Amino acid sequence: MDALWEGFQEAVRLIVRGDAGLREVAWRTIVVSGSATLLAMAAGVPTGYGLARGRFPGRTLVLSAVNTGMGMPPVVVGLIVWLFLVRSGPLGDLELIYTKRAMVVAQFLIAVPLVIGFTAAAVQALPAELPDLLAALGAGRLRTLWLLAREAQLGILAAVMAGFGGVISEVGASMTVGGNIQGDTRVLTTAIVTETSRGENANAMALGIVLLVMAFAVNLLLTAVQQRRRR
Amino acid sequence: MEVRIDGLRFLRRGDCVLDVPKLVFASGRTTALVGPNGAGKSTLLRLIVALERLDAGTIRIGGEQVRPDRRTRGHVAFAFQRAVFVGGSVWHNLDLALRLRGVPGDERRKRAAGAAAACGVDHLLDRPAHQLSGGEAQRVNLARALSLRAPVTLLDEPLSGLDAPARRQLLHDLPGILRAFATTTIIVTHDRDEALRLAGDLVVLIGGRVHAAGARADVFGNPPDAECAAFLGYTLIPDGGGVLAVAPRALRIGPGEVTFNLTVEELLDFGMRREVWGRIAGVPATVSLPMGENDNAGRLTVSAPERAVRRYCG
Repeated sequence: MDALWEGFQEAVRLIVRGDAGLREVAWRTIVVSGSATLLAMAAGVPTGYGLARGRFPGRTLVLSAVNTGMGMPPVVVGLIVWLFLVRSGPLGDLELIYTKRAMVVAQFLIAVPLVIGFTAAAVQALPAELPDLLAALGAGRLRTLWLLAREAQLGILAAVMAGFGGVISEVGASMTVGGNIQGDTRVLTTAIVTETSRGENANAMALGIVLLVMAFAVNLLLTAVQQRRRR
Repeated sequence: MEVRIDGLRFLRRGDCVLDVPKLVFASGRTTALVGPNGAGKSTLLRLIVALERLDAGTIRIGGEQVRPDRRTRGHVAFAFQRAVFVGGSVWHNLDLALRLRGVPGDERRKRAAGAAAACGVDHLLDRPAHQLSGGEAQRVNLARALSLRAPVTLLDEPLSGLDAPARRQLLHDLPGILRAFATTTIIVTHDRDEALRLAGDLVVLIGGRVHAAGARADVFGNPPDAECAAFLGYTLIPDGGGVLAVAPRALRIGPGEVTFNLTVEELLDFGMRREVWGRIAGVPATVSLPMGENDNAGRLTVSAPERAVRRYCG
């Protein structure tokens, strides 16, 4: 309990002091996980919609793969990305390994099945007649897509929250493909691991609290949007 | 506007589910498209509004060929069997439908209010659409379609899913509502009584083919074949090589112009009236039994007037 209390005090001290190291790691965490989430949204929402509404051979197989991906251990994703991006790997020439971009790629791969899966479920929960109703009323394809997305917004925002929550809290993939390089690829989760291994429990706890507050703030914002629209 | 169908064929997974060489829904008339479940009624409505693609033939609305575009859909208002809504109030749903049709703001308010009042839902305009009861939802569904003031209105089972009082009320109100909006209306139903109450014309669709089309009295009074008669509620009784079709509610106790023997199976007492359920030549039949008549007989002589009986060859 002491470590928890000390960690809390240290977190307050770091935040109040505006600690430059903390600011830098926190900002990097937001940039990396935020970019990965935005990319996962851009790819995952339309894909989830297509999977929910489309009928094509192999659809069940794809949905099963997505559902499996939703529970994929981040460290395994990190390992696969590492194997591709490492200098001797098939994409080694891109020289992405141990960079923030490699971390974004890995986190994107973690988030995208979550966004696809939640979006598909949200769209499938809409009444099957709704797209036909909108078409019969004269809505074009894009207008229909927009109106359906509005109807499924509760689920789609849940998808985004799940995606962001999945990547901001993961450590295995970021560590494997980012390398936890101080001042370059260290993010809050990998910093916590480092501080813990050094026996700096209060620092680790402080970083953990900052991570929790950040995750809570982002989810609070998304939840507020979600619930406001619900009304 | 008239809806004219020529040489229509529609296939599903290689099977022909609709084959309609020629059919006309007359301008300004209300037509009931009736038939058993799976006859292709709803599919025909979906083809008229171009939600499905024809495999052969043409559908024309007011002389213009139906296409999956805004122009065709602007001619048609479609109330789906299940009343579905977007999130928001009833008003928002009516307004959205009119906005999608490009109706300007003032006109939208006027039309939505008018249709809501005509359908008896003007007191529900601020209610979230997803919180409506079954009867309210069907009325709002109807109001949404009628507010569009399209030349052609398609109603797919408008009374489905309603409890008995709500159904009876809407069945009573609907003809007046439709008269007030005076469009070419096609109502899909599998309920004979609904069809007879709501429409001046009948089209009987069985197994994807039109068995009868014409004025209500002509089709109901003179079904062209036994299958059509059976769907319209006639009792089909084997008679030599053919069948006799007795019109619904035409059987009476006692001898008459066309007489049958009814083997009594059950007597149902409804308090004010009674019904005998039994069989004529093995075929289930029902006849009203006046109060006070002998109800102990195992067999009854029943009859129907000649004009209520049709004969079909085997």
